[in-house]
Amino acid sequence: MEFGTMDIAAIRSGLAAKEFSAREVAEQSLARIDAVDGTVNAFLEVTPEAALAKADEVDAAIAAGAFDELGPLAGVPVAFKDNMNLAGTHTTCASHMLENYVSPYTATCVQRAIDAGALPLGKLNMDEFAFGSTTESSAFGTTKNPWDTSRVPGGSSGGSAAAVAAGMATVTLGSDTGGSIRQPGSFCGVVAVKPTYGVVSRYGVVAFGSSLDQVGPFARSVRDAALALNAISGRDERDCTSQDVTIDFTRGLDAGVAGMKIGIVPEFMDAAGLTSEVKYAIEGAAEKLREMGAEIVEVELPHVRAAISAYYVIAPCEAFSNLSRFDSVRYGFCDPSHKSLAGQYEASRAKGFGPEARRRIMLGSYLLSAGVYDKYYYPAQQVRTLITQDYERAYETVDCILAPVAPQTAFAFGQISDPATMYATDLYTISINIAGNGGMSVPVGLGEDSQMPVGAQLIAPAFHDMNMLRVAAALEEAYGTARVAPDFADVKAGA
Amino acid sequence: MTEHVTEKDVRDIAEYCRIGLADSEIPQMTADLNAIIDELAPITEYDLTGVEPTFHPIGDLSNVMREDVEGQSFTQEEALSNAPAQQDGSFLIPSILGGGEA
Amino acid sequence: MKKIEEVLKDWEPVIGLEVHCELTKLETKMFCGCKLEFGAAPNTHTCPVCLGLPGALPVPNKAAIESIVLAGLATNCDIEKHTMFYRKGYMYPDMAKNFQTTQGPKAFCMRGHLDLDVDEKNINERYGVAELAPGETFENVTRTEDGYTAKVGITRIHMEEDAGKMIHVGGAEGRIEGATHSLVDYNRAGTPLIELVTEPDLRSPEEARLFMEKLRQIFLALNISDCSMEEGSIRADGNISLRRRGTDQLGTKTELKNINSFKSLHDGLLYEICRQAEVLEEGGVIYQETRHWDASKKRTIVMRTKETADDYRMFPDPDLAPYDLSDEFIERVRAKLPELPDQKVKRFQETWSLSAYDARHLVEHRVTANFFEACMETADAKLAKPLANLIINDLAAMANDGLDLSASPLSPARAVELVGLLASDAISSKQGKQVLAAVLDEDKDPAQIVEEKGMKQVSDTGALEAVIDKVLADNPDKVAAYKGGKTGLLGFFVGQCMKATRGQGNPKLINQMLAQKLNG
Repeated sequence: MEFGTMDIAAIRSGLAAKEFSAREVAEQSLARIDAVDGTVNAFLEVTPEAALAKADEVDAAIAAGAFDELGPLAGVPVAFKDNMNLAGTHTTCASHMLENYVSPYTATCVQRAIDAGALPLGKLNMDEFAFGSTTESSAFGTTKNPWDTSRVPGGSSGGSAAAVAAGMATVTLGSDTGGSIRQPGSFCGVVAVKPTYGVVSRYGVVAFGSSLDQVGPFARSVRDAALALNAISGRDERDCTSQDVTIDFTRGLDAGVAGMKIGIVPEFMDAAGLTSEVKYAIEGAAEKLREMGAEIVEVELPHVRAAISAYYVIAPCEAFSNLSRFDSVRYGFCDPSHKSLAGQYEASRAKGFGPEARRRIMLGSYLLSAGVYDKYYYPAQQVRTLITQDYERAYETVDCILAPVAPQTAFAFGQISDPATMYATDLYTISINIAGNGGMSVPVGLGEDSQMPVGAQLIAPAFHDMNMLRVAAALEEAYGTARVAPDFADVKAGA
Repeated sequence: MTEHVTEKDVRDIAEYCRIGLADSEIPQMTADLNAIIDELAPITEYDLTGVEPTFHPIGDLSNVMREDVEGQSFTQEEALSNAPAQQDGSFLIPSILGGGEA
Repeated sequence: MKKIEEVLKDWEPVIGLEVHCELTKLETKMFCGCKLEFGAAPNTHTCPVCLGLPGALPVPNKAAIESIVLAGLATNCDIEKHTMFYRKGYMYPDMAKNFQTTQGPKAFCMRGHLDLDVDEKNINERYGVAELAPGETFENVTRTEDGYTAKVGITRIHMEEDAGKMIHVGGAEGRIEGATHSLVDYNRAGTPLIELVTEPDLRSPEEARLFMEKLRQIFLALNISDCSMEEGSIRADGNISLRRRGTDQLGTKTELKNINSFKSLHDGLLYEICRQAEVLEEGGVIYQETRHWDASKKRTIVMRTKETADDYRMFPDPDLAPYDLSDEFIERVRAKLPELPDQKVKRFQETWSLSAYDARHLVEHRVTANFFEACMETADAKLAKPLANLIINDLAAMANDGLDLSASPLSPARAVELVGLLASDAISSKQGKQVLAAVLDEDKDPAQIVEEKGMKQVSDTGALEAVIDKVLADNPDKVAAYKGGKTGLLGFFVGQCMKATRGQGNPKLINQMLAQKLNG
């Protein structure tokens, strides 16, 4: 049995028919991680006891005839980005600052996944504190793209995308502040969903950009992503910004796109830097949607350029504030032998944080300072109003927007070295976080030149995430379900 | 590239953030910050007169509160479980007013 | 240093207060469900939120919001419907997140005021008031029969959270100077805290002290805090600057911290006024600095503090929803307002014809106000004034020394009985004090004590006349001296008569009758 390549429905029906046990799913998944993760380096921590204990729990329920009462993720191997607290595991955010931090509590989204029956396999690699889009800034080594291990998996949720692409987990959870779910999803050829801000609780997920962060699933099918969303979404009393979402994301997935209006943004499609292979792939996707009965309509987002600048103001400001708590007093890296607190603070934070984290903290601190606040931060929040209105206006005409996720496919390690260029690769994804809307990536084949996966981004109106899931399901019909990366498709665990 | 921040500014910011940058790191950090701040120029070029700011992306989010009812707390052990230094049930830190630092 | 009266001729003190009050009557913290408990073992009431663990998020305590709105309504503030929480960033070990969640330019309560009643005996601490006639006004002052009232503006009251507690180890007296280490306890971190800032309308240390007293009375009446300076649930910092009398421009202010009693606030401000005057008169400069009041050395000293920053990088907290308070919410809170001290004072005056002074001093402490009202449930209206006197002059002092008026042998019924005996001249005021002491000691009714000690005052004029006649007859030389002008000898005669009656003669009557006989 190759559980790594199965989808949720297959696992569920197999368990129900007693073709295999949850324990076998857990054991085999762990063996596969053993066999394969040496190459991929998606996992920072593997949790065999937790996975097996949960599996036994699921098996006991099945034995007691209570299978139907089990949640939508029963027996499904799942892993979590390492910025999500899971009690008893290290939650490092891929930083030396939290290298030895053991969570004393569990994030709501993680708890809900486990309560829904998921087998927790472990914690996944990421860019340090989620600052980045290649996972290269992890303090614990890079993650390799399973489609080509000389290339980046994307980021910051690189480990989450790679684990699914390499068949080590069926579903993983990641977080997205400016594209950190969608872009690695695109680079690794898997389905990756960032729902509307507020759909999934942020409680227990280490904050980067509090008004931008959202949690979402990676999976190899739109249906699996929808099932995962069902398990983790909805109001959480511990997160003021979480919303009372009670919809079933799997309902209406197969409705097709006939009669839907799907927007294309000329500003995106004509942007400098967009490689021809990606542009071609997106245009191809548009064509497929047309063939399936959708109408493709041009829509304008007049303030999208400003929204990009607004992101680079708001995100670092919130990051600076959120990272102030890492001060060597209650937890985290403490540089030893200091006689003064100031010395201990300065050394611990200088050594605990990597270069990108230090840059963002400094930038955020500068942007919030007296005199500068009015020049950038306040205007950025005004721009947020404008881009939100831009999207709202666009959605008066269309039900969903189709766009690229990234200007290019996954590139080689070390290719992007300066921060400003790194930032430019986020242009298609970040305005969605500013407006708070939902966005997702669905694989639409391989790039003609690079032969690396291309993801199409679908963007939905606020709290209408079903629109994008539905269009994604249609594209999945046309292009085929996401598959495990070729080099990993035949790997047999324990062989 | 415009000089939005000088090396002195960067030292001051590092001090505020309590990040001990080495002298050798200051020039690069200054250059990096200035390059990034240049990218923010579009924000300053828009006419935003009369536009209300949106601080919270969910438009009608308001008045979210909880009842004054006791919830679960950590034990002392749990609270201190990741403490770099502790004494008598408290977190232990070196001298706040400090001096004597090399 | 000069005395305050001298200083005030040339210098005008400008004082503002910053008051922090913990909402200790609530069950839980401001942003999490940890229990509020003073004196618990360290770090036994913490959670991811108040410890500032990565990933934790705040959720505001609804009862705290209701409490601050109540406080605003009780202090004549406008209640702002649209406000937000802000993050105020600074790195300090008692701040679990290294930012404090507080409010920004708009607070829940804005633009309030309190009216203070200053007693005649303190009138010279405020320059220029003594000369006014009752009813005359100047600046924020109205002169009255027994002092003056001053209207003090309240700029705002905002909602925030308290920091943890630190114990400093290795320095003198546990002080932060010289400490080699500190111990941090986050039990207090996250306690709901309201901060009230006054306009710089206070002009004397007494006014500042009275402001705190009044605020405390109000907050106690609202039952939102136990307002204990000893436990730190109410804290006051003073800002004080001087300017030459007659000028407008504000001087540089110093901040006075580490005040642990209202008396310290008064004394510290008094000292600062004189100190600043001395510095300025010598041509020196006042620095904007923080000073601590050292009660034992009776002076203020400069404190090095690393707690403050010049720029707190404030911005609206993205994790907390903005407020859009409805009229209905505000009215529901308003309906919970109890009778406030000013209202009670007015009621006491009107119901029992008490003077403003008496009413104010009765109302000053809940326990004396309650005692008085309990007495008046059975007492005749004409006993109101003597009862007020008893409470204000005798019982209040005893209450300060630890007498628990709500549970002592002196019940309201007994107080009424005692005052009744005094009013009917059955006993003298000196005897009254003895009876009061005996009631407390022996737990008996006053009438019983008077009976047992045979204390009934002799007011029978016939009996007294006999005594007086005998005293006068026994001291002819002194009588002659009195008639010759030594009128002070009246006291001698009164004393002799009191001795002859074994202390039970009615001194008032004896005085009167003696005077008649000697002068007539």
